[in-house]
Amino acid sequence: MTTPCANPLRRGLIEDRTGDPCAVVIFGASGDLTRRKLLPAIYNLALSRSLPSGFAVVGVARRAKTAAQFSAEMKEGVAQFSRRKPIDPALWTDFERGLGYVQGSFDDPSTYKKLSAHLDELDNERGTRKNRLYYLAVPPSEFATIVANLKQAELVADPIAERSGGPWTRIIIEKPFGHDLESSRQLNDCIASAFAETQVFRIDHYLGKETVQNLLVFRFANSLFEPIWSREHVDNVQITVAEEIGVEGRGKFFEQTGVTKDIVENHLLQLLSLTAMEPPISLSADAVRDEKVKVLRSLRRMEPTMIRENVVRGQYGRGFIKGEEVLAYREEPDIAKDSKVETYVAMKVLVDNWRWGGVPFYIRAGKRLPRKVTEIAIQFKQVPHSLFAAPDGGISPNVLTVRVQPDEGIALRFTTKEPGNATILRDVAMDFRYGSAFGSNTPEAYERLLLDAIRGDATLFTRRDEVEEQWAFIDPVIEAWRGQASAPPGYPAGTWGPEQADDLLARDGRRWRRP
Amino acid sequence: MSSVTTMPGAPESGGKASNLITRIENELRELWKPPEDPTAPPLSRVCTMNIEVVAPTKELLERYTPVIDEVTASIPARAILASIEPDSAAEEVTGSATVVCSLAGGKKICSERISLGFHGNASARAASAIEAFLVPEIPTALVWLGRVHTDDPVFEDLARNTSRIILDSEYTSISSVIHVAAWARSQRHAPEISDLAWTRIAAWQELLARFFDDAETRPLASKITRIVLKQAGETGARIGPESALMLGWIGTRLGWKTSRLAGALRFKREDGAAVTIELDAVPRPKGVAPHTLAALMIEAGDDPHAPALRGSIERELASGLTDQANTTPDADVIDWKCTRAGGAEIEQRIRLGPNKAAKWLERTLHRPLRDVAFAESVAFAEHIVEDGLTVS
Repeated sequence: MTTPCANPLRRGLIEDRTGDPCAVVIFGASGDLTRRKLLPAIYNLALSRSLPSGFAVVGVARRAKTAAQFSAEMKEGVAQFSRRKPIDPALWTDFERGLGYVQGSFDDPSTYKKLSAHLDELDNERGTRKNRLYYLAVPPSEFATIVANLKQAELVADPIAERSGGPWTRIIIEKPFGHDLESSRQLNDCIASAFAETQVFRIDHYLGKETVQNLLVFRFANSLFEPIWSREHVDNVQITVAEEIGVEGRGKFFEQTGVTKDIVENHLLQLLSLTAMEPPISLSADAVRDEKVKVLRSLRRMEPTMIRENVVRGQYGRGFIKGEEVLAYREEPDIAKDSKVETYVAMKVLVDNWRWGGVPFYIRAGKRLPRKVTEIAIQFKQVPHSLFAAPDGGISPNVLTVRVQPDEGIALRFTTKEPGNATILRDVAMDFRYGSAFGSNTPEAYERLLLDAIRGDATLFTRRDEVEEQWAFIDPVIEAWRGQASAPPGYPAGTWGPEQADDLLARDGRRWRRP
Repeated sequence: MSSVTTMPGAPESGGKASNLITRIENELRELWKPPEDPTAPPLSRVCTMNIEVVAPTKELLERYTPVIDEVTASIPARAILASIEPDSAAEEVTGSATVVCSLAGGKKICSERISLGFHGNASARAASAIEAFLVPEIPTALVWLGRVHTDDPVFEDLARNTSRIILDSEYTSISSVIHVAAWARSQRHAPEISDLAWTRIAAWQELLARFFDDAETRPLASKITRIVLKQAGETGARIGPESALMLGWIGTRLGWKTSRLAGALRFKREDGAAVTIELDAVPRPKGVAPHTLAALMIEAGDDPHAPALRGSIERELASGLTDQANTTPDADVIDWKCTRAGGAEIEQRIRLGPNKAAKWLERTLHRPLRDVAFAESVAFAEHIVEDGLTVS
């Protein structure tokens, strides 16, 4: 439990909330996520003095290794992947004193006995005060086993006692949160058998990005934009999550998911809900998530006819990325030669509520597109009557673009007159970039999210009902494709998707932005 | 890490202030012209605030210029640096413009630096000349180097149009800060006052607060019985601004009162019990500023002879990485220790932020404008400074 302002010496401090002392237990500590993301993030939190005074990290994995070996592996990971280099030897010595390793199989109760004993030691030696943050950096197939064993070993605190100041337990799980609505419910039920929803932190690293957090500030701390953030003024919204890369060694995984489950179901729908949500009554986790889930519930469900008209999928063929020839999807390792898995999807989504009725949200995600970019573009309506001759077909509408990555920032396009005697109109952009204005050394998403979990702030984590609403929206689309014999239309790598995606907007008299 | 490069305009020259302003504006336009070489990377001009720096001498201003260049590398701004020397025999205004660029993430981000010199009677026109260069609609910070007098018309005119005045009580005094804060309170649209010494103790505040974050130790915050502060310097020296502000902050957060006993200063807790304050000295290594806060120890509990909690925060002075000039601009290491009666000692090693002028200014600029705790702590610190608490 966090203790905002309860400590009189915290009153008025910039960082007026601190996490309680705790031990972070990482299941799957031998994996890449731990070495590349989690430990570098925790180390950076230590560097920025954000960790509580009593703190320890315990890795749990099957591989036999000593604590010293684990520590050496983590040091190498931090040295390679930390945003701040080189490792600070004075701090590392102290940091590694809090690193421990428990070897064991996740389905073996003795693993949890060892873990329990180790955590008790840490409570005495490192002052971790019986507070535990479990991080499941393992495939979802392992979740049920770990959760059941944690409960069996009495390693989960009573959430009611937590509320009255007793030790707390939290669990962080990584996506995918199931592969459809049914499996997502099963997974949630399984976790709920041991953990209360208030103890569960479902991580979507997109929500830890500065621009995503800034979307709330931008919308609700500026009086300029919110009044025009509605069907009265907005013509359409385009949300793009584009990647240059292909499946990059994740062929087996991608064959099971496709881009819809990998990106659209989670990241893209989260961006959409943050864009479309109503102002929350406060910034508390549930107030924000209540508004997001209302948007998800307002999404018009896709009937089969609608799916044919409003959803386009594609699969990349050979092509060129940054001048280099790249393989077609079906030529990548671990990909079936006749794979029907989509590497691109575009949808026209309608939000059936008072604010957005009739405004299409065009969303798209794809691999092997020309550049890596994630952005939300709000395209405003045309002026009602043009006073100016515009020989190239009309005055361009204003566009407000929130760039999530790269070059995080916000840009506003508007029309100006070119200097000279003739009235020639020209589009210009006011362009705010985080990197230029505030420096580029912003915390990684995992740093922010881990710190929030330590502090018990779930605002940037996905709640059960959000996940289930996301699947409820996506499931009919996946189901409709399952029955189709034909493969998705192809698009050459290095292009912005299949022609049908352009047709999707052309039918509405619109076209995709070129981000 | 970014490196700073400069592109100076025309060399510094003097003349009438209005002509000079026009000339500098033209210079800036020239500097921002697209490069003639089409293959040269374009410059990105970014400006998030105005930073005015006023110094009593040209030499001091020149010494401070690299600090400002480093700050604008991470907070792109229009920097207007002015030396004001009213006693100079000449009566002239000199000035030049420079574009200061830093490479960040492969991009060249550039800020503008305008350097001005006011000599003799021309000094009276300094504020109006400086204000002519302010970029509208963005915040303005005034960094005043040297002694400050609130009845100085240049200070008054500049301060009225800024959102924040930044001083360093290490080089002026706590009294100057108190004086300026009182002046600000009397203004209709008062700028906020910041002190670099306050920024320097921010990490200490957070580290001290940690002792009482735990639900079990939280009640002990109101039962502090003894505090020992150590500052770099000699025995017999007066309490420095960092130690005074730190005590002021602790006292105001915990509702302490000061009183006198035969003229000597005493500290009392909210419940009326006495708190013992000791001020010690530690040797000052080369490159460490006098009066730098070096350690803080506390004891708390019902029985002063058997404290329920002992905590210490000890800074290894000059333990930061040493640069080519053999100074330690990087962060010092701190040892944080907490022992509860009957419990194990919890220890953490932490590194403070880089110990250099540019970083302190940068962090001060990042702090919220309004800081009630600062105003209260300064007022409390005034008693301590007046009393002349000295190092035993």
